[in-house]
Amino acid sequence: MNFFEFLYSRREDMLTLGLEHIAVVAVSVFFATVIAVAVGVVTYRLERPREIALTVASTFLTIPSFALFILLISPLGLGAKPVVVALTVYGLLPILRNTITGLREVDPAVVESAMGMGMSRRQTLVRIELPLAWPVIITGVRVTTLILVGIATIGAIVLGPGYGDLIFTGLSRVGTPVAVNLTLAGIVGVIIVAILFDIAFNILRTLTTSRGLR
Amino acid sequence: MTTAETGQQRRIMIELDALSKEFPGQEKPAVDGLSLEVPEGEIVILVGPSGCGKTTTMKMINRIIEPTSGRIILDGEDVTKANPDHLRRRIGYVIQQIGLFPHMTIAENIATVPKLLGWDKARISARIDELLETVNMPSSQYRDRYPKELSGGQRQRIGVARAMSGDPDVMLMDEPFGAVDPITRDRLQNEFLRLQSEFRKTIVFVTHDIDEAIKMGDRIAILQEGSRIAQYDTPEQILTAPANDFVADFIGSGASLKRLNLSRVADLELTQWATARVGTDREEALETLRRSDHGALLVLDQNGRPRRWVSAADLSRSDGQPLDRIGMEPEAVVEPRATLSDALNELITASYSVVVVVDQEGVYQGIVDIDQINESIRTMRSNAVARAREGLASDRGAGEVGSVSE
Repeated sequence: MNFFEFLYSRREDMLTLGLEHIAVVAVSVFFATVIAVAVGVVTYRLERPREIALTVASTFLTIPSFALFILLISPLGLGAKPVVVALTVYGLLPILRNTITGLREVDPAVVESAMGMGMSRRQTLVRIELPLAWPVIITGVRVTTLILVGIATIGAIVLGPGYGDLIFTGLSRVGTPVAVNLTLAGIVGVIIVAILFDIAFNILRTLTTSRGLR
Repeated sequence: MTTAETGQQRRIMIELDALSKEFPGQEKPAVDGLSLEVPEGEIVILVGPSGCGKTTTMKMINRIIEPTSGRIILDGEDVTKANPDHLRRRIGYVIQQIGLFPHMTIAENIATVPKLLGWDKARISARIDELLETVNMPSSQYRDRYPKELSGGQRQRIGVARAMSGDPDVMLMDEPFGAVDPITRDRLQNEFLRLQSEFRKTIVFVTHDIDEAIKMGDRIAILQEGSRIAQYDTPEQILTAPANDFVADFIGSGASLKRLNLSRVADLELTQWATARVGTDREEALETLRRSDHGALLVLDQNGRPRRWVSAADLSRSDGQPLDRIGMEPEAVVEPRATLSDALNELITASYSVVVVVDQEGVYQGIVDIDQINESIRTMRSNAVARAREGLASDRGAGEVGSVSE
């Protein structure tokens, strides 16, 4: 059985795993975005808190993913939960960094004129600063998504959803002919998910960015 | 400090009372106990060297910068502690960098304050059309454009339109024409003065350029370090009677030439020139020229717009060509609103001794020649000197010196 025949025979599995993979990454990216943008908005004007937030988010990324998944088993059990938590933590840095950069790059004259016209701090943030920083923020979200699509495969060690399952099964059968096919199928699946996310982000970015900024 | 004596006492729109601002870590206060009254409907210019505190002073009026001490009284109401957002919606604000919102269309930019004020959609939309019309940018063409699609001068116009959108009584302008090229600046200044003659807003205008101050200001406050007022007076008085050496140095040399920025072409009696319509034949044109005492004839088109300067020599060499094909193009053309300085500039650049005056539609109104400009400089000077000496006399005490009549 060559690789393509193998893929064809597993097509239903491939589809199910693919949807799981997309779901777990999407949920994690959502949480990471909410948390990172919120932290960014609160800290971008304050030097110390900003530095601390960035340092913490970078430190998270240095924790080996394998170790983090295993650590999360005892509080959260097996399955999707520990995976979502771990991925959220890993996804913070790119979004946080881009949120802070994006907000700090907004032309001070624009903010001053918004204030000068009587917009409150909150109105200035929501109507002016965030829309202007948005192209930078969404780029961070996209980077996070690509990183998480890869890391999500390791979630299979805690029985998490997605293509990691194929890869780890392949690992357990090293030496048999099916091992290579399983691992390759996992890789192909991950690449396809990554490409789909990338296309989705390109469309989303175009739709959500003002024509005046393009 | 001297205050100009005005005929009618105007209502005070903005009163700054012992206003101070100290920034942390700076030895001297940026603004040190400034008191200033701004009469309703006037343009008051804050002018001074960089670092004198003029911008800080202006930004304390809408409390973009919060004063350390002192009071701000707007239209009789103490707003020093009022809600700053509500205060700012009543005050138009234009800064040098303009700060248009790049992600919003021109219409959305202009709609900002009306939206904050809770106007309904129809009223906002009508206001946008009205303002774009006011700044000579057809609404159908510009409404849905984005700031990046406009030229510098157009952005500046939108900045002004946006500041006027909520129909504020008071406007603050920080070097509003500083970032455009000199020719555009001149045009924007003239446009703005035309708007102001219509709307009569109370305006505080910051600049470092004394020429702009003289041209734009009803009154000028010349500020020294710490925003201390060196002189607060009409442009005329400041040019005529600088209160101290600081003011005299700041004005620099050529005060009488600067005075040319104070009078407008409309203030002069225009000279009528020998003219002919485009269709006129050569003999008739020659006859007109012969009857006048001028060296050349001004050819007007069907709508009365100047087309050519035609001299007797041009006519005799014309070989039957129509009048609008011979002679020279009239380059020095100004509107009545132009200052004498603008007119003189045109004369010099075009190397003529006369400048053609046209109305807004470009229709010929008359001529100003260099002698007239010269004459008005002379009159202004002697008036100014007389007034200065009058001030001298009244300072010395009552009764001693009789009044100087003009």
